[in-house]
Amino acid sequence: MSTAAAPNYELIQQDGLETNLLEVSMGPHHPSTHGVFRMDVKLDGETVVDLRPVFGYLHRNHEKLAENMSYLSSMPFTDRLDYFNSMTNNWAYALAAEKLIEVEVPERAEYLRVIMAELTRLVNHVTLIGFFINDLGALGTPLLYAFREREKILDLFEQASGARMMCNYFRFGGLRNDVPEGWLKRAGEVVDRFPYFLDEYEQLLCENEIILSRTQGVGNLPRELAISAGVTGPMLRASGVAYDLRKVDQYGIYDRFKFRVPYTEGDTGDCYDRFMIRVLEMRESIGILKQALAGISEGEIMGNAPRVFKPKPAESYGRIEGPKGELGFYLIADGTPKPYRYRVRPPSLINLTVLRDMCLGGKIADAVIILGSIDIVLGEVDR
Amino acid sequence: MSILGGGIFKGMAVTLRNFLGSYTNKKERLPTIDYSWRADGALPQGIGDYPKEKGEQLSDTTTVTEYSRNFPMLLHDGGEPMDTVRCVACQICERECPPQCIYIEKDYDENGKYIKRPAVFDIDVSVCMSCQICVEVCPFDAIVMNSQFELSTPDRFGGLLMRRDDLLKSNDYYHKIHPEEAAARDAKIAAEKAAKEAKKKAAAEKARAAAEKKATEAAKEDAK
Amino acid sequence: MSFELLIDILIATVPLMLIFATVFAFTTWLERKALARIQNRIGPNKVGIPCTRIGLFGLGQPTADGIKMIFKENIVPTGADRLFHLLAPILALIPSMLVLCFLPLDFPWLNENSVKAFLLDGAVIFFFAITGLNTLAVFMAGWASRNKYSLLGGMRAVAQMISYEIPLVLSAVIVVMMVGSLDAAEIAGEQKGGNWFVFYPWGFAAFVIFFIAALAETNRSPFDLPEAESEIIAGYFTEYSGFKFALFFLAEYIAMFAISGLAVTLFLGGGDGPGLAVLPWLSVIWFLAKIFALIAVMIWLRGTLPRLRVDQLMGFAWKFMLPLSILNIFVAGFAWHAKQLDSQFIMVITWVISLAVLYGAASGLNQLNRGKVRPREYKYAE
Repeated sequence: MSTAAAPNYELIQQDGLETNLLEVSMGPHHPSTHGVFRMDVKLDGETVVDLRPVFGYLHRNHEKLAENMSYLSSMPFTDRLDYFNSMTNNWAYALAAEKLIEVEVPERAEYLRVIMAELTRLVNHVTLIGFFINDLGALGTPLLYAFREREKILDLFEQASGARMMCNYFRFGGLRNDVPEGWLKRAGEVVDRFPYFLDEYEQLLCENEIILSRTQGVGNLPRELAISAGVTGPMLRASGVAYDLRKVDQYGIYDRFKFRVPYTEGDTGDCYDRFMIRVLEMRESIGILKQALAGISEGEIMGNAPRVFKPKPAESYGRIEGPKGELGFYLIADGTPKPYRYRVRPPSLINLTVLRDMCLGGKIADAVIILGSIDIVLGEVDR
Repeated sequence: MSILGGGIFKGMAVTLRNFLGSYTNKKERLPTIDYSWRADGALPQGIGDYPKEKGEQLSDTTTVTEYSRNFPMLLHDGGEPMDTVRCVACQICERECPPQCIYIEKDYDENGKYIKRPAVFDIDVSVCMSCQICVEVCPFDAIVMNSQFELSTPDRFGGLLMRRDDLLKSNDYYHKIHPEEAAARDAKIAAEKAAKEAKKKAAAEKARAAAEKKATEAAKEDAK
Repeated sequence: MSFELLIDILIATVPLMLIFATVFAFTTWLERKALARIQNRIGPNKVGIPCTRIGLFGLGQPTADGIKMIFKENIVPTGADRLFHLLAPILALIPSMLVLCFLPLDFPWLNENSVKAFLLDGAVIFFFAITGLNTLAVFMAGWASRNKYSLLGGMRAVAQMISYEIPLVLSAVIVVMMVGSLDAAEIAGEQKGGNWFVFYPWGFAAFVIFFIAALAETNRSPFDLPEAESEIIAGYFTEYSGFKFALFFLAEYIAMFAISGLAVTLFLGGGDGPGLAVLPWLSVIWFLAKIFALIAVMIWLRGTLPRLRVDQLMGFAWKFMLPLSILNIFVAGFAWHAKQLDSQFIMVITWVISLAVLYGAASGLNQLNRGKVRPREYKYAE
């Protein structure tokens, strides 16, 4: 898979001086590997000569578990894939299962789904940027600002679904329950307030000379490699491909909203692009949220779908534009209440495959921020 | 041309603003300390300092939000719990529970006849993930979510296993912690009951009508 | 050695040690509190008077931390060099404590004849010589820990401290040139009455360079690479725990005081400030207040900035700071000659020219080093 030019590295052997590469095992217990991820790094001084990602420490047998329980029962487990974005995980799985049982989703539920998904995107991007700057060494200040705003959105999730992170809110054919009274107003207040926070965030980060010089030209992901490796999401758009499933598939009711897809012109595709694309995407998400909150109407929130069902033998693939990339669920039904095959296409894992190509030749500090800019959650990588 | 280090100064202005703002604008800057902005005072004030004293507990009815869910409870309709318990030990929740934390045994009387209630109903706190699937699959509205969250215990085995009698809570309690949800559920039960009765009535009516028809027909036959 | 001399020495040094140890404890509290507020938290607020619920804004936190540190287990990794593992924190503390004695603090209990530590002729030189020892301790800690992260941190520290020592010294040279003395008290005395060196263009440039280099020298953010948490865990003190870690911590803060004290002496007028004619002992208060102002800026920077990469750090020292400080020496030299002419008009011209030259050089070097690094524009697809 290694197509990026690895630097031609030869150790300079001096007379009477034995030199060797320094092998460092970064992780699984390391402050900035975002969970239990490990990078076996070979260093020449500070320069990364070789890097081998090692993962699987958080493997929980998600797919096999889901093949041994009913369709509904694995819904709460999808929360635990990418635990930052339980709402979008729910949605992708619900889409796949809804294709199997062919059930219509009521309009109010569709609107609420869009609202929840876009709020999730805000949560994910804002915390990702916080963690990314934390990897750059900023002592957590942007991270804590991000958590401050995330707190407000998580409270909305809690009021709607009863849980802050493991929402388990989507059901086949709709949502579990309607949002409580006054929720939409509160959501509107949070959404109206968010751009002010984003302004401040951009002022803090986007022109900072240290951040610019740390991120620009670091971790270059060429357009061709990004496409051939199957990279999706903001990372692909940062590499110069304007590809967004919300535009391509128009799942749900995304065709009703007006929004733009930011992407990089040219082929810089470095950490700074990945960081800025996410910032710009948040602005677009706020636009969608405002339209959705204005357009939502009263009505049913649950279609006519049974709790436990036996779908006819069929296959289905449901995919959405998750905050991290294309999140897909592939189901094969065989007429029993349990899926015959249940497969997740995790964006985190597939985006992670290009890590080595991006890190080689950089410094060890670059490897850390490149990992941060990929935006992985180990719950999804290892499943 | 931008000034030297302009981006850094801008960033420093932001941090200074946040530093000062944390004193003046708590609602915006310290949302976890100042709770007043949350759901219309649904949260008791001062929870940020929880627990205030050793052993101090929040009241039983502390509800964080309307839909907050922490651990399942079994509903009964008042009076002696085991007489009015709604659960019939059908074991659907046991089958559907994603982490498989429910264990149910049916109750039998002396003659070995199944009486519709559970003899054993255990839920393991350490395994339960508060997903509420059991609530949704229950056809009898017998199991709902409790919002009581003070479940920690030093006892690793017995303390973390909730037995049937620990789980039994009255419908009134449910109304206290989740008023809207409980009302909706009661309405649903009442509607179902009414529908059932109507159906029964209709069936009885039909049967009566059929019988009458039969009777009249028989009378006609007889008349002939 | 007579008995009186011994008493004199004790009177001169013991208060220093006591004051700075207390101030250290207070500073850790201040830093945590200020950082917390910058990050929209409230920081330590529980530890106050024991057995009561009186929090005292968490002022008891440093004491509690100290007690905890003393009683924690001392862990030395298998295969580590036990002797040097122990020596490193001690060696880190001694030089930073030692240089405190050269700060021109006019304590009211010191009279004309008593020993004043800072009366050494070559105080400034001595200061730099002693702080250089710190590098050794840091590398010793990195090497003796037998940990790859520690080693990386230690090597980073050596490279960084040696590089930044040069602009640090070169900017101090300007003040030495102006005063014509290496004596700290004399340098402070020269700036009496608001005639601080920081108010001159060359002095200001030198102060900024000095301050940035001081940040690097004390491993403060954004130059905290030797202890870069997100990259190499905790750098050279990864394997230190308990009291040894506390010693490193103490050494780091004392070094901060020492270098801020030197900056105050060189550029900010030492103990100079209003009200000195009435209450001469105010000079100590002014001196400490200025130190705290500098430390507050350090905390503020720490709460704002991410850190540089190791090659950028080196580039910044050699490609930006060093040429600028050398240029600054020339500017200061010309300015000194212009001052001898004793003409108001020439002074104004000198000011304008030196400001223009320094700013032009700084932005030119910035442009040169920056390359293509600048904010970008992005496109949108409908």
